[in-house]
Amino acid sequence: MTALLTIDDLGVDLALGGWFGAARRSLNILAGVTLDLKPGETLGLVGESGSGKTTLARAVLGLQQITGGSVRFEGSDLARPADFRAIRRRTALMFQDATASLSPRMTVGEAVTEPFAIHRIAIRNHHEKAAELLAEVGLPPEMAARYPHELSGGQARRVGVARALALKPVLVIADEPTAGLDVSVQAEILNLMSDLKARHGLSYMIITHNLALVRHVADRIAVLYLGRLVETGPTRAIFAAPRHPYTQSLIAAEPKPDPRKRRTDLAIRGEIPSILRRPVGCEFNTRCPLAQDICRAEPPALNDLGQGRAVRCHFAKDITEGGRHELEH
Amino acid sequence: MSSGGRFRALRALLADPMGTLGLGLVLLFVAMALFAPWVAPADPIKLNVVEKFQPPSLAHFAGTDHLGRDLLSRIVFGARTALSIALTSVGLAGLGGLILGMIAGIGPRWLDAVLVLMFDSMSSLPMIMFALAVITIVGPGTGTLILVVVLVSIPAYARLIRAQTLGLAGADFIVAERAMGASSARILFRHLLPNVVGPLVILLSMDVPVVIMLEAGLSYLNLGVRPPTPSWGNILYDGYTSIRSAPYMVLVAGLPLVLSTLGFTFLGEGLRDALDPKLRRGEP
Amino acid sequence: MSEPVLSVENLSLRYRVPGGTVAALRSVSIAVRQGEVLGIAGESGCGKSTLAAAMIDLTGANAEITSGTVRLRGQDILSLSRDSRRRLRGREIAMVFQDPMTAFSPVLTVGEQLVDFQFNINDVPRREKWIRAQHMLARVGLTDPDLAMSRFPHELSGGMRQRAAIAAALLMRPAVLIADEPTTALDVTMEAQIVHLLRELQADYRCAIVIVTHHLGVIAELCDRVAVMYAGEVVEEAPVDVLYHDPRHPYTRALLACDPALIEEATGRLPAIGGRLPDLAHPPPGCAFAERCRLSTERCRIVPPPRVALGPDRSALCHEVAP
Repeated sequence: MTALLTIDDLGVDLALGGWFGAARRSLNILAGVTLDLKPGETLGLVGESGSGKTTLARAVLGLQQITGGSVRFEGSDLARPADFRAIRRRTALMFQDATASLSPRMTVGEAVTEPFAIHRIAIRNHHEKAAELLAEVGLPPEMAARYPHELSGGQARRVGVARALALKPVLVIADEPTAGLDVSVQAEILNLMSDLKARHGLSYMIITHNLALVRHVADRIAVLYLGRLVETGPTRAIFAAPRHPYTQSLIAAEPKPDPRKRRTDLAIRGEIPSILRRPVGCEFNTRCPLAQDICRAEPPALNDLGQGRAVRCHFAKDITEGGRHELEH
Repeated sequence: MSSGGRFRALRALLADPMGTLGLGLVLLFVAMALFAPWVAPADPIKLNVVEKFQPPSLAHFAGTDHLGRDLLSRIVFGARTALSIALTSVGLAGLGGLILGMIAGIGPRWLDAVLVLMFDSMSSLPMIMFALAVITIVGPGTGTLILVVVLVSIPAYARLIRAQTLGLAGADFIVAERAMGASSARILFRHLLPNVVGPLVILLSMDVPVVIMLEAGLSYLNLGVRPPTPSWGNILYDGYTSIRSAPYMVLVAGLPLVLSTLGFTFLGEGLRDALDPKLRRGEP
Repeated sequence: MSEPVLSVENLSLRYRVPGGTVAALRSVSIAVRQGEVLGIAGESGCGKSTLAAAMIDLTGANAEITSGTVRLRGQDILSLSRDSRRRLRGREIAMVFQDPMTAFSPVLTVGEQLVDFQFNINDVPRREKWIRAQHMLARVGLTDPDLAMSRFPHELSGGMRQRAAIAAALLMRPAVLIADEPTTALDVTMEAQIVHLLRELQADYRCAIVIVTHHLGVIAELCDRVAVMYAGEVVEEAPVDVLYHDPRHPYTRALLACDPALIEEATGRLPAIGGRLPDLAHPPPGCAFAERCRLSTERCRIVPPPRVALGPDRSALCHEVAP
C-alpha cells in the first residue's frame, strides 16, 4: 500500500538571535526523522517534553519551516507552496490545550464552521451545519452559542474534534489529545476518535507521553529522544520487547496501578539534557545504563531490524528480546 | 440565547451601574455637541454688554460672562469644541497606533526594531514642551491641537497593540487558524484585530478626558482654541480673571469638565468588563 | 495501632460563588498515622485538593468551613488563633504543590529562600542554616547543591525544582507532608524518580505523608492506604492492596476499570463512566454517584448512602455494598 504521509530524513533547525540576518546561530531540534503513515493507520509519537514531538507535528503540517529532508503527503511535496492549501483541507491538527486552540471571541458554532469559510466552501445553513458537526461528536446543538471559556475540558476537546473533522480530512494529527482529562473522560474522547476513524477512514498521528494510552490506540509507535527517532515499530512488538534502552526505561518507568507490582529499583535516572547542550555521540549516552565508549563518540544510525522495526543504537543487534541485562556483564 | 455578540456586550455594559452612568453621561455630552444650535438658548458669541456678569437666573440658567454672553450656550457649544477635538484626535491616534502596532507585531524583525525605536524616541519627548514647540512653529488653533495629540499618543497605543499582537501571534488558536489554511488577511482581521482592539478601545475611552483637559488647559493659556470660539478652557480662563465679581463662572465651566471626565472613565471601565467574554457579568 | 497524627472529622466546606454556594467537601473524615502514606484519589472536581488545602489551613478567601474539625496530634487547629495556625504551617505540616514554581519566589535564589524558610529556628547562625539547606538538597538527590542554591528557581529544570520544593518542605522536619499532585507536571521518567524519592524520605524521616493525585499508578506505587473521593465525599477507604484488588464501591470499580494501564489486552475501545458529576451547588439528596451507577436503585437517589464498615480500615459509602 502506498503511504499517505512520507517523512524522509526530516531536520528542523531553529535560527537563534542575529540581527538583519547577520551572525545567525542555529539550534538543532530534529534530525534524521524518517517515518511513514499508511491510510487508516494510527501512529503513536512518544517522547518526553523536549523530545521534539510537537515540532515534528508542526513540521509535518508545514507550520514549522523544515531545514532538511522532505515531507510528502499524498504524493505532494510540502515544500511546494502551490500544494499547500489543498493539503490543509485534507489534514487537521488537534491541540493539547483544546480551549486555547479556539478563538476566544468566537462562539463554538462559529468555530466549527470556520473551516468552510476559510476554504470558501458554501454551506447553506450555518446553524444546521454547526448542529450537525456537534452532533457527530456527541454535543447538543445549544452548545453552538457558547464561548470557549464556558466549556469543560471534555467539551472543548469534542469541539476541537468537530472542527478538525469539518472538512472530512484524511489525516488528523492530535497533540496530547487527552492531556489534563480525567480517566473517565479520556476514554470517551478516545472512543469517539476511534469511532470517527472507523466511520471516515481517517489516519491519526497521536503525539503523547502517555504510554498506557498509546498502547491501546496506536498500530505503530515511534519513540523520540532529544529530536532523534530512537525506535519505531508495531506497538505490540515494541511493548512486548523494546529494543532501545530508552524505550525500555520509558516503559519500565510508567507506574503500574497495582500495589503488588511496585518497583524497587529505578530504570532511569536524571533528566533529558537541554537541547542547548546536546550530548556528543548518542543523545542518550548520559542516561543509558549500557553506554560504552563508542556511544560517547559516534552517533548511532537507525538500524533496520526487519518486520517494520528500526532502532537507533550501536548495540541494536545485541540487545535481544531478553531485555537489557545481557550487556551489563 | 442569540449569537449576537455585540448585543451581549451592550447588555453586559448596561448590567453594570457605573457603565450605564458612564454611557449616559457620554451620550448626554455627545447629544449636546451634535444638537448645540437647537439646545443652546442663545447665540454663544453674541455680545450684550448691558447684561454682563448676570448670576444664574431664569433668563440665563448659567448666568452671563464679562461680555454678557449666555454661559449655558457657551458651555453647550464648548462641548462641541471639546468633543470634536478630543474624539478626532484620539480616534486618529488610535487608528495610527493600531496600524503601526500591528505592523510592528507581525512584520519582519527589522521593521519592528525601527518602529519601536521611533515609538521610544517619540515618547521620550516631554509632552508639554513638545506641544508648546509645535504651537510656536505652527501657531495655535484646533488643527495644531489635534496634530499634537495624535503625535504624542500614537506611541503608547502602538506599543499596547504591538505587545498584544506579539502575545497572540504564537497563541494556539492562531496556529490553529494557520493549520486550517486561513489566509494572513483572515488571521489579521478576523482573529488578531478583535482580540487586540478591546484593550485599545478602553484606553482610548480613558484618554478622551485627558485630551479634553489638555484642550481646556491650552485654551486657558490662550494657546488652544482661539476666542471667541466657545471652549471650556476659554470660559474657565474668563471665569478666573473675574472670579471676584462672578465666582459662579468657574463652577459653571468646571462642572462639564468633571462630568465628562467621569463619564468617559466609567464608560472605559465598563467596556473593559463588557468586551471581554470572560469578565462579562449576568451570563449563564 | 498508633494514634493519628492528623485527622479530619466530619469536615464540610463550601465555596461562595456568584449566585450561591458550592459544597466542595461534604462531611469528610480521614486520618493519617505516623509513618503512614495516605493517598487521596479522585477526578477533577471531587474535592481532593480542597481537602489537602483544608488540612494545612490554606483554603481560599471564598471558602467557608461549615462543620467539622481538623486535628493535629489531637488538637483542633481550626479553633486556634490565626497566629498559632500560621506557626503550625511549615513547622508541623508542610506542603508540596503540583507546580514547584509556586513554592519559590521568582526574585530570590533557591539558597536564600531555603535559608529564609528556617526563620522559625532562633539562635542558629545563618551559616548553619545554609549548611542545613545544602544537606537537605543533597538528600533529595540534587547532585550539586551549591550550584542549585546559587540559582533562581526558573533556572532549574522542572524535576530539580520539584526536588528543591520537597527539600524546602522537609527542612523543618514536619510531622505531616501534604503533596498535591506532586508528579503531575513531570515526565514519566522524572515522575518515577520523585515517587522513589518520596518513598525513601518517608522511610528515613517517618513523617506522615498525604498524596493527593488523580494518577492511580502513583498511589499504587507509594501509598499504604487510599481514600477515593467523589463529589466532595470519601466514597471508599481501604488499604492500598485491598482497594486495587477488591474494590467495593461502584465508583472505585468504574475508575479502576477505566485506567488504560490496567487493561492488559490492547483495545481500541476503552471503558468510560457515562454521565457527569452532580452539580454541587445543589447536591442530590441521595447518593451522588447514583445517576452514573449501574447498581443504583430508587433508594439510592433519595436516601443518603450509609458508611458501611467492611473490615479494619475499610469502609464504603454505598447502599448496595454488603459488609
